[in-house]
Amino acid sequence: MDRPVAIVTGGSRGIGRAIVDRLMSDGYNVVTCGRGARPKGLDLRVVWVQADVSLTGDAARLISQANRAFGRVSLLVNNAGVQVEKTVADSDDDDWDLVMNVNCKGVFNMCRAALVDMAEHGGNIINIGSISGMVSDPSMALYNASKAFVHGLTRSIAVDHGPKVRCNAIRPGWIMTEMAEDGFALANDPKRAMEDALVRHPVGRFGEPADIANTVSWLASDQSAYVTGACFTVDGGMTAASPLNPGLF
Amino acid sequence: MGMLEGKVALVTGGRGGIGRAIVSRFLREGAVVYAADLTQRGSLDTHDDDGSRFVKLDVTQEAGAKAAMEQVAADEGKLDILVNAAGIEIEKTIEDTSLEEWNRSFAVNVTGTFLTSKYALALMRRAAGGGNTASLINFGSYDGFIADPGLAAYCATKGAVHALTRAMACDHGPEGIRVNAICPGYVDTPMLQSFFTGEGSGGGGKTIDQLQQAVRDVHPMRSYGTAEDIANLVNWLASDEARYASGQLWVLDGGLSAQVQQMKL
Repeated sequence: MDRPVAIVTGGSRGIGRAIVDRLMSDGYNVVTCGRGARPKGLDLRVVWVQADVSLTGDAARLISQANRAFGRVSLLVNNAGVQVEKTVADSDDDDWDLVMNVNCKGVFNMCRAALVDMAEHGGNIINIGSISGMVSDPSMALYNASKAFVHGLTRSIAVDHGPKVRCNAIRPGWIMTEMAEDGFALANDPKRAMEDALVRHPVGRFGEPADIANTVSWLASDQSAYVTGACFTVDGGMTAASPLNPGLF
Repeated sequence: MGMLEGKVALVTGGRGGIGRAIVSRFLREGAVVYAADLTQRGSLDTHDDDGSRFVKLDVTQEAGAKAAMEQVAADEGKLDILVNAAGIEIEKTIEDTSLEEWNRSFAVNVTGTFLTSKYALALMRRAAGGGNTASLINFGSYDGFIADPGLAAYCATKGAVHALTRAMACDHGPEGIRVNAICPGYVDTPMLQSFFTGEGSGGGGKTIDQLQQAVRDVHPMRSYGTAEDIANLVNWLASDEARYASGQLWVLDGGLSAQVQQMKL
């Protein structure tokens, strides 16, 4: 039987890379993309397309290249995203364009391009949202808002394009990627910052990219056949706890 | 003219920290107010006559709930507003919570809300109609959504109150009775101050002042709420201004639960 075909956006590193690796071992043919050149160490069987999902033409090109390489696409994972660490007062038009173009228009572009085929022949879309789309990270205003957009779009696609298409979102919490490590490095007392952040996680550790990839794998599988329009939080319990933890101050 | 002229209200826990602020606001807005509590002083040390009518009520006792409503029926013949503000909290994990403490938490916070509401409904139906709505206001908590450590039974009771609020709104909306819950965050009450001084506070050698400041700093509004802040929303929900508001859980926490965990970075 032919391997099913998946597109994962933003698969060069971090969470996206873990999703690519997991889908490969789950038996998919995988196409991934990023704005730069093919990253080092990427499984040679994975097709890399240099593309910017915020450009409508690039989104369509990504689908057609996947079709040419492997056939029709049955799974789309919208992982590509950027963040700008600013309040509304500090954000300028360029910040808005960057965050909204990648995180909102990019997801919209890819869904729209994939739905040309999926709406008729079926498919599965998994969007990477964020806990920040539910509760706010300070000084991340546009990012927080862009992720709330992703959650709303997820529900809309599930409603409009079911039963042929399932669409769900995953809301990761703190996942240890290079981006998160950079954050701790900037802290006044990196060791204390790390300890403080850890104790706010009921599972006692930060997330790993594989935790998100595991969730993608399940949502991509028939085990989740009845799941659509859902936004699942995968954050080690962090947002289940009050931010006011008296033991911490 | 006050917002509640001509209305009759009963507030359980009406002599406690938040309850007194609600009673006093209702009186200022022109309502006839019954303050129901275990004693005249409630959870505080003293009580000055504020113009409310005291009803001795243990919300866990069915006979007491019946008797309180019979008194309102005899005096006024109707009840426009019921506020279920009586509540307790046990500061323990489930492992440390005895069955007795667990049952006591549910008896006051959940069964109390059930019993008082159950016997108030007939009187509230009499107030509703002719374009008027009656308003039943429960006390949930932001702890019904996200958990504070070492407060397990309390969190569970508040989650139950939230679900009960929606259920009652569905069942009694057609009768003109609106049902909402207020979900406060940290509010300056005797309950909060005892939390600061209690064993559960985990103060780490900090003074109460330092502890209070630390709590304020975690709030986007940089303060915790006052009982008056809660009374402001209760008053609005009780008034005709809120005639289309029902079945909702109104979080009032200075933005505390709008944010992700505030790590020290």
